[in-house]
Parts: sequence; C-alpha cells; structure tokens
Amino acid sequence: MGKVRRISGCVAAAEAVRLADVDVISSYPIRPYTGIMSELARMIADGRLDAELVYAEGEHAQLSIVYGASAAGARTFTGSSGVGVTFAFEVYSPISGERLPVQMAIGDRTLDPPGDFGSEHTDAECCRDQGWIQGWASTPQEVLDMHLIYYRVGEDPKVMLPQYVCQDGYFVTHILGDVQVPDEAQVKEFLPPYKNHHILDPKKPQIIGPQIEPCMGPPQQYQRKQAFDNINEVLIKAHDDFARIFGRRYDPFLEEFMTDDAEVVIFGQGAHMNTAKAVAARLRNLGDKVGVVRLRTFRPFPTDEILKRMSRFKAVGVVDNSAQFGISGGAGVLFSEVRTALYDVGDKVKTVGFVGGLGGEMITHDEFLRMFRKLQEVAKTGKVEKRAYWLPFEL
Amino acid sequence: MSENLFAEPNLKQITVWARGVLQNKDARDVVVALTEAAAQENKHVQAWENYVDLPDRIYVPVRAYAKISSDPIDSRYVYENDAPDIVVLVEETLVKNDKILKGLKEGGILVVNTRRSPEEILNFLVTKGNLGTIVTVDANSMSTAVVTLSGSEGATDATGIGGGISAPIAGAVVKASGIVKLENLESVVKNPAAMKRGYNECRVMKLDKIEPAQPVKEETAWDLLKRMPFAGTVDSPVSENPGMVTGNWKTRRPVIDKEQCTECSTCWIFCPDACITRTDNGMEFNLKYCKGCALCEATCPSGAITMVPELDFKE
Ligand code: SF4
Ligand code: SF4
Repeated sequence: MGKVRRISGCVAAAEAVRLADVDVISSYPIRPYTGIMSELARMIADGRLDAELVYAEGEHAQLSIVYGASAAGARTFTGSSGVGVTFAFEVYSPISGERLPVQMAIGDRTLDPPGDFGSEHTDAECCRDQGWIQGWASTPQEVLDMHLIYYRVGEDPKVMLPQYVCQDGYFVTHILGDVQVPDEAQVKEFLPPYKNHHILDPKKPQIIGPQIEPCMGPPQQYQRKQAFDNINEVLIKAHDDFARIFGRRYDPFLEEFMTDDAEVVIFGQGAHMNTAKAVAARLRNLGDKVGVVRLRTFRPFPTDEILKRMSRFKAVGVVDNSAQFGISGGAGVLFSEVRTALYDVGDKVKTVGFVGGLGGEMITHDEFLRMFRKLQEVAKTGKVEKRAYWLPFEL
Repeated sequence: MSENLFAEPNLKQITVWARGVLQNKDARDVVVALTEAAAQENKHVQAWENYVDLPDRIYVPVRAYAKISSDPIDSRYVYENDAPDIVVLVEETLVKNDKILKGLKEGGILVVNTRRSPEEILNFLVTKGNLGTIVTVDANSMSTAVVTLSGSEGATDATGIGGGISAPIAGAVVKASGIVKLENLESVVKNPAAMKRGYNECRVMKLDKIEPAQPVKEETAWDLLKRMPFAGTVDSPVSENPGMVTGNWKTRRPVIDKEQCTECSTCWIFCPDACITRTDNGMEFNLKYCKGCALCEATCPSGAITMVPELDFKE
C-alpha cells in the first residue's frame, strides 16, 4: 500500500504518469494544466522518472510528437487546456485512426474570447467525437486512478485507442485532496507493458496514414467503431481488477449518490458534482428525496446504462458546464445526449437542462438548491414548462 | 433559508496577503503550515492560493487562504475566503490596501509582519471594521524570506514548509488565535526556532472597542450583465486604465528633489508605466499608477529621485 499525500489534481496526474513508467512526454505551457508538466520535469531531473520530455513549440506539435513516439512503441503522455486543446485539433483523429493509445490530460479552461483562465468543459467536449476515450475525474485521487485505468483500457489489444483524462481547471487541478499514491509493484500488476500493433522499425518500413481511396473509408472507419464497441467490456474488467489490486472501487459509468429512493436527481460530470452532492445531503436532512448521478465515462457515452438505471427517477436535471450554442435541447451536450438516451422510456422521466459555472464560476450551493427545487416542481406537476435554463440568469 | 441550510458554523478562515513572486512562497507556507498542523488535530483543512490574482507580477498583492473546520468543508470550491477570522500581511505596506479586512468576522485578528508597533499599524488602516485584535511580529529579523517558484500552480513544493519568514508569522498567528496547538505547528515547520520566536516576541494588542463593519454591496450577475460591454470589447485606455490600477503594488514611492532635477526627462523615458509627466511645475508622478519599481531613481543622472518607504506617508 502506498502512502497518503495531500496533493493537487496536477500532481496526482504526474504521479500516475510516473507510475505508468511513461517513455515520451511532450509539453507546452498553458494554465491550468501546466503544473502537471512542471511536476514531471522535476521528477525527471530528480531521477524518479526515466522519460524523454520534449518541449514542443505549440500544442499541434505536442500532439504530433506523441503521435510519432507512440507509433515507435513508446508509452506517451501529453496534455493541455482551453485554446491549447483546440489548437491541436487536427491531430486527434489521425492518432485514433492510427489506433495509437496516446494519453492526454486536459485541465479544463474556457475558450476565448475573452481570455479567461477559469474552467469550463467546453474545451474538452469539442473533441468528443474524435475516437478518443474520454472521462472526467472529480477529485485528485480519481485523477490518478483514471490515468492508470485509461492506459490499461486504451492499450488493450481489443481497443488500441487514445484517451483524454479530463479534470476541472482550478477546482481539481489546483485544489489539494488526500491521495493514496500506490506502489510501483501494484501498478505493474495492473498495467502490462505497452505493445504497439504496428511498431515503426527501420528494418521493416511501413507507411503510417497513407492516402486511401474512398472505397476504403467505410471499412477503415468501421474498424475504429468496432474498437469503440469493445471499450465497455474492457473498461468493466479494468475497474474490477483495479478494485482488487488497489482496493478502490468505482462504477465505470455512473456514480450514484443518495439515489436509492430518489425522486429527482442532478446528473453531471466533474468537480461540480461534489457541490451537488453536498446540497443533496443537506436536502436529505430535510426529508427531500433527492440524489446525484455523476457521469464518469463520457466517451463512449453509456446510453444503455443510463436507460437502464435512470428510468426509475421522476425528473432528471442535467447540468452542463459548457457553452454549446444552438445545440439540440438548448442547454449543452450532456443534456442533449441524456435526453436521447432516455427517449426509449417515453414521457415517464422528465428531463430539464441547466447550464452553469461558465467562465470558471463555481456552481454555488444555492444554484444547485434552485435546480433541485425546479426538478421537484416538475416531478410534482408532471409538466416541463421550460426545457433548459442558463444560470444564473434564467433560474 | 438557503443561507442557514449551507452554513458552516465551525469553519475558520485565514487570509494571507503578500507581494507577488517574491513572497508567494512564504504566503503559501503560512497557510500550509497552519493547515498541516490542524490536520494533525484531525481537522478538515484546505490550503490554497488565489487563482485570479496575478502571481507572476512582482509586488502585485496576492492572497493565499486556509480553511480549518471540525466538519467536512463543503465550500471548498469558493474562490476566495468571504469571511476571514484571521488576516495576515506578509509585508507591512499592504496595510494601506482598503480590501484587506473585507468580510472580516466580528472580533477578527490582523497579524502584520513589521518592526512597527500595533498602535502605529492601526493608524494606517483604511477601515477597522470588525477588527478585534492587532498583532505585529518582526519576522524579517527572525528568519530569511524564501524566494522560489517551486510549488506554484499546484505543483509540489520541493523546498519544504516553513523555513522562511512564514515560520515566525505562523507562530504569531497561533499566539493570537490559538487556532492550532503550538507543538503541532512546531512539528510541521522547517524552522521551529524562528516559529517560536514569532510566538514569543510578537506584540498583541486588543482593541478596546470593535467598530462595526460597513456592509458591502456585492454586484449580482444581472448587474454584471448590464455593464458587460458588447462582445466584451472595451475602449483602449488613453491615459489611465481604470481596470489596472497598479499604485497598490508599491512598497516605496519616488520623491523628487526639484532643486536637483534638470528636467532632462530621462526618468520619463524609463518609467514602464508612463507615470511621469513634465509639467510647468517640473516632473510630476502619478502615484495612482506608480508601482514603485525604482527605475526612475536608478536612471536619473542627477540623483534627484529617492525611493521612500510607503509607511513614511499616511496617505
Ligand atoms: S518607481 Fe518610478 S519608474 Fe517605477 S513606476 Fe514609479 S515612477 Fe515609474
Ligand atoms: S531623470 Fe532626474 S533629472 Fe532627469 S527629469 Fe527625471 S528627475 Fe529630473
């Protein structure tokens, strides 16, 4: 058993990268994820980690470096925030298309304008459909654990796909939490060495990413879809093994909090759900039947799990910490996708969308209280007067 | 009702003010040392730095915070301490900043690193609202400041906790407040001797009468929406930028001896903030924006400018 340290999400991510014995890291500074790279640089300088740290000239280069390194057989790590994440956009699809299990940390940051370093999920959610596994951690401990689990899932021969491990900027990247840092031996047992499927080798030259005829498009994309379809099974197995080896059990898809007899729940992802839980706990003391469901895996989106487990509630309030203008449903991507997932249960479960915490503002206890009260009203009357609310202006 | 629902009656808040870059580390160490000591007493703790301050500007006022409670801390994502029980100034001229006591709880404590007496410091306070106790400690004579970027931006601090002036300052905080046990603080700081000197040699003055704080009106999101310019675009400041008043960055101010000044305008060229203007009355300094960098003093060929400590002036 490793020891407990009080560390930030940035340091927790760096500890996971060290424990995963990563070979090549590419960096470029931008707040708030930068702490991960300064921590890794010091680990290398102190001889605690044997890895090549390449200072890129920008995020596009950062992703290109780990693209090549992963193809050469290296376990790789990179990361960014906000506009850094979007500047690298071109490289995301080729990495997953080449089936290279690169790992990237995203410390969320608002996209410009104006230049705001507060957190929003918008940056990472922009990349949601690029063939990467993606999920949000809500505490420094979960950051460390998710990085390890995602390496294992992404590098599984049935999957071979890159992964984004996302954490809310400031709320997780900068605020310390108690973290059990595991032993190297435990990690060795959990995470086998990375084996590339088509390693770059001068003795056996290959062309990576050649031009193809349109007729090869459908089979190539279908291959990637098949790999994506394999993720859930591998993810479940990885979480079981993780619980056995490290003694911490997470539900791979949805964390439920006080949901047993809940009539209404708040649904969302990331650190703000910790505030939602605190509010739910206080409301429970007053006898309100409220709970929280926290999404842990965003890609692949757990449609069946949501359908199976959330159709028992009367009303579900989906909280989006992102700005997706003009999206179906009028809130954010989570609301849109939860509504789609719950379509098959018909009108039984009412859904309401809430957009909050934009620009990095905290979603306050009072705002969550107002959301719960709105959901209780919807559950009682059976009527959804307004589909989506932008906080704090509309609720 | 919502206010009661989310009240945290056992929560103690400590806000530490310091000067950017040079004192980030010592400010952070004060809160980390106190929270680590509190953790040994099985308290729930949080130590963090203000995310919105501009920590990479030299001498800009920056804040580090601590929360200590016997209950789990539900408010851990609130950016700033809204109602500190204890306010600490790592550098004495911060006492002129009108924001330092904002939100102070009734009977709150102010701890200042200074050679001056509590009475003298009290004179500089812009408002004394809710202040109950004022403490001074000459930490600079008991230890040496640690200047490092290690531990910034959420990374681990490799240099250890409480080796610099933070140790005597934290000692003074404990003397005045008893927020943690002395022996627990002693076990977490790198320089326990200096910490103890701070504890023993600080000067504590209780105020006879606690003045009530003036209520502050916070802007609502609707107020902000009203004053949000179209697309966030603002007019470029022509002479003064009201959004970036840098006058409170300085610990010393330039004073000109007009007899010696030849009006050569060298200082005017070098002032990075364009605070110096040539008038019919000679060179004038705009102290609202002068951040005390002393470049004018260094470049004046006639030795006409002297940097004088801020606390030599009442205003
Ligand atoms: S100290 Fe002198 S040079 Fe520096 S900002 Fe003030 S007036 Fe300008
Ligand atoms: S540089 Fe010195 S001598 Fe020249 S204008 Fe400034 S104060 Fe006067």
